[in-house]
Amino acid sequence: MAKAPRVKGEWKRLTVQAAAFLLMNPKLNRFFLGSIETGDTKSVCVPGLNCYSCPAAVGACPMGALQNTLGRSGKPAFPFYALGFLILFGLAAGRWICGWLCPFGWVQDLVYRIPFFKKIRTFRYDRVLRYLKYAVLGVLAVGLPLFSALKGVLVPWFCKLLCPSGTLFAGVPAVLAGGGALRVGFLFWWKIGVLLALLVLALLISRPFCRYLCPLGAIYGLFNRIALTRLDFSPASCVSCGRCEAVCAMGIDPKTQFDSAECIRCGRCSRACPTGSLSLRFGVRKKEDHK
Amino acid sequence: MKRPVRIAIAAVLAALGTAFLLYGIFSGQALTVLRKATLICLECIGIG
Repeated sequence: MAKAPRVKGEWKRLTVQAAAFLLMNPKLNRFFLGSIETGDTKSVCVPGLNCYSCPAAVGACPMGALQNTLGRSGKPAFPFYALGFLILFGLAAGRWICGWLCPFGWVQDLVYRIPFFKKIRTFRYDRVLRYLKYAVLGVLAVGLPLFSALKGVLVPWFCKLLCPSGTLFAGVPAVLAGGGALRVGFLFWWKIGVLLALLVLALLISRPFCRYLCPLGAIYGLFNRIALTRLDFSPASCVSCGRCEAVCAMGIDPKTQFDSAECIRCGRCSRACPTGSLSLRFGVRKKEDHK
Repeated sequence: MKRPVRIAIAAVLAALGTAFLLYGIFSGQALTVLRKATLICLECIGIG
């Protein structure tokens, strides 16, 4: 059985991820009541992919908010509100949010820790497939909802057809708590299939949804170069041992791709680095690039 | 990317993000999100 590469202090990040899940979903008793939280805080977007239909959620998912504000009164509209949140979250943290706060990222991290017959770091089409998430963003999260808005209806196509976080934290609990009251059809089983496929893939590859499909990660990745939460690399002290690359959750080379849109700032590389050449920091970078 | 450029882009985006957020609140989009988020969105979770 192959095991995921282990890094010292990984429990700290897993604890932060669990705490973030509880902060975004504190009303756990609602999982048994079959109803969802209805407080005013649900107008505020949370940073991670956290479905607002999750019974315990006290905030709104930024992707759901984005799709639902693309139209108003039967006409397309500019999603100022959701975009405002996305820009501010992106500037503050970039994809650090994926690595430390996203509930579905946490689930994938936990699944990847389960020993499996093989663990794949990268494969032939890995790099090309990573562009898929931009297509998901453009087509399912923006294009089709905008097209629907033109027709006078608002349909959150990404949530409807793909989002595994919504299926896991909202769809499944709603069906279980409904006790047969909710009529599930092809769409529900399609989404269960997507969720199961991603969970099985997560046994093999670290964070398959974040790598290939997540539109929220695609947006936050655009901010990685200017975000206040950053990964610094000092080539002077690097001994090229390759440990950072071997433990990277996203299968990239942190030495050369520390500002890549793929880096989720999980900090595994910095914890594995024997010389402290890589470090996770907060604030404006002092040096101009890393030369 | 040079540091002043990085800072300038970040500052412009921070101003834009804040302006978008405030305009979104005053134009009623926050209320739209609240309405959507306080009902179980059946189509969001694959049932509707």
